[in-house]
Amino acid sequence: MVLLLGGCQLVEFSPNQAYVPTQERGLTRQQLTRLQTAPAPDDTIRFVFVGDTQRFYDETEAFVASVNQQPGIDFVLIGGDISDFGLTREFRWVHQRLRLLSVPYLTVIGNHDLVGNGRAVYQEVYGPLNYTFRYQGTQFICLDTNGREYGFNHKVPDVAWLQQQLTDTAGTRQTVVVSHVPPQDEDFDPAVVPAYTAALRGCNRLVFHLGAHIHRFTVGQPYQDGVTYLTTYSLQKKRYHILTVWGQRKYRLQTVTYGLDW
Amino acid sequence: MGWIGNGVHTGLPLALCLLVNQTCAQAPEPAAGPFYLTLHVAGGTGLVALGGGYRLARQRLEPELLVGYVPRRLSGSKPLAIFTLKTTYLPWSPRLGQSRWQATPVTLGAMINYTTGQQFFLTNNSAGNYRPGYYWWSSAVRLGLLAGTRVNYGGPHQQSTTAYAELSTNDLHLVSRLTNRSLRLVDILTLGGGLKRGF
Repeated sequence: MVLLLGGCQLVEFSPNQAYVPTQERGLTRQQLTRLQTAPAPDDTIRFVFVGDTQRFYDETEAFVASVNQQPGIDFVLIGGDISDFGLTREFRWVHQRLRLLSVPYLTVIGNHDLVGNGRAVYQEVYGPLNYTFRYQGTQFICLDTNGREYGFNHKVPDVAWLQQQLTDTAGTRQTVVVSHVPPQDEDFDPAVVPAYTAALRGCNRLVFHLGAHIHRFTVGQPYQDGVTYLTTYSLQKKRYHILTVWGQRKYRLQTVTYGLDW
Repeated sequence: MGWIGNGVHTGLPLALCLLVNQTCAQAPEPAAGPFYLTLHVAGGTGLVALGGGYRLARQRLEPELLVGYVPRRLSGSKPLAIFTLKTTYLPWSPRLGQSRWQATPVTLGAMINYTTGQQFFLTNNSAGNYRPGYYWWSSAVRLGLLAGTRVNYGGPHQQSTTAYAELSTNDLHLVSRLTNRSLRLVDILTLGGGLKRGF
C-alpha cells in the first residue's frame, strides 16, 4: 500500500524523503546504460555542459527544447545544484523535464543538493556522489567538491579517490574532471586545494577541469600549471556550452544562447 | 490520484449540501468533548503521526501537536522525527439530517513543523558553515497551508470519531510554484488524512 501510494507525487511522507518510485531511482546508472548503447561513430565527443538547474523549471524546459535541436550531441552534463532546497520533489521536477532530452544526461552533485536530507535524496535518485564513466576512450571523473557543506572537514573532495581514478589508465586516451565548486572558489575546502590541484597537474591526459557554481563562464589556468579550469553558466542565464573533445586533449568550446525573452 | 482529489473536493461537498439542505442554517452542535487524539497518515508530516489537541472557539478551531515518524526505508538516512504544530479551522459543520453524522465540507489550516536530524539546520547562521544570507531558508522548519474535508460520527455528549483528508503545500514548494509558470498547482500539493477520536 505504501509502495503503491509512494508512486504518486501527491503522497509524500516528508518533503525530505529520499524515497522515489523505482523507475526514478539510480538515474546515473540508467543514463550510462543509455549512453553506452548509443552508437558512436568516431572518437570525437560532443557534449552539452550547463550548471545550476536549481528552481529554474521554466528555463529547464526551454533548455531541453534548444538542446534537442542541436545535431550530433552525445550527452548532457549538469554541473550540480540540480535542486535549490535539497527537496525530493525538486529532483523529480528536474528529471521530469530533463528526461525529455533526446540524449542521456549525467550530473555531479552541487552544494544545494546537499542541504537538508539532499545527500540521501541525490544518492537515491542519481547514485554515488563520486563516479566515473568512460565514453569513446575519454574518462569522465565526476566528484563532490562541496567542501563547505561538510564544514571543511578536509575529506571533500576525496583526493585519494581522485588519484586512484587518474591512475586508472586502462582504455583511457584522455580525462575530463567534472565538479560543482571549482577549487578557486571560497566554498572549496582551502586545505584540500593544494593536493587537489597537484593531482590534476600530475595527470598528463587531462583535457580540462569543469565546474559550475559561480553561474558564469570563466576559462583559464589560475594556477599557472598548464591545467585549464572552465566554469559554465547557470541554466537561468539561458546560455550553455557545447564542448567538443577529440584526438589528444584537443577541444572546442561553443556557447549557445536561446530563449526569445533574453 | 486526480480522481480521488476531484471526488473529495468537489463531488463530496456538493452531495453533502444536497443531503443537508434542511439543516444548513443551523449552528453546529458540539460533537464531543474538547480533547481529541489524532492518527495522521502522510501529508509531509511522516509516514504516520500521532498526537492530539484541544478544540477551541465553539469547536471550530482544532489546534494540535503531532509527532511523525519517517523510517529509514523512506528517509534514506537515519529515521526522522517530525514535530508538527497544526491548527485546523472548521467554518461550517452541518449535521446530516437527524443522523449522528456531521460533515465539514471544507476545512482550512496552517502548520509549522520541525524535522530532527543532524543534516538539518534551524537557521543559516546556526549551521555554522555559512556566511549570513548564504541560504535564506531553514532546512529543519517548514511552514504549510492546507485545505481539506471531513466527516464526523457521534452525537453530542458522547465520543466522536472524525475521518478527514486534506491537501497541503509548504513554503518551499510554494516558492517554487510562484517562480515557475511550468509548475502546476497539483505539482506542489501533498495528500494527507487521518482519524480523530474525541474524549
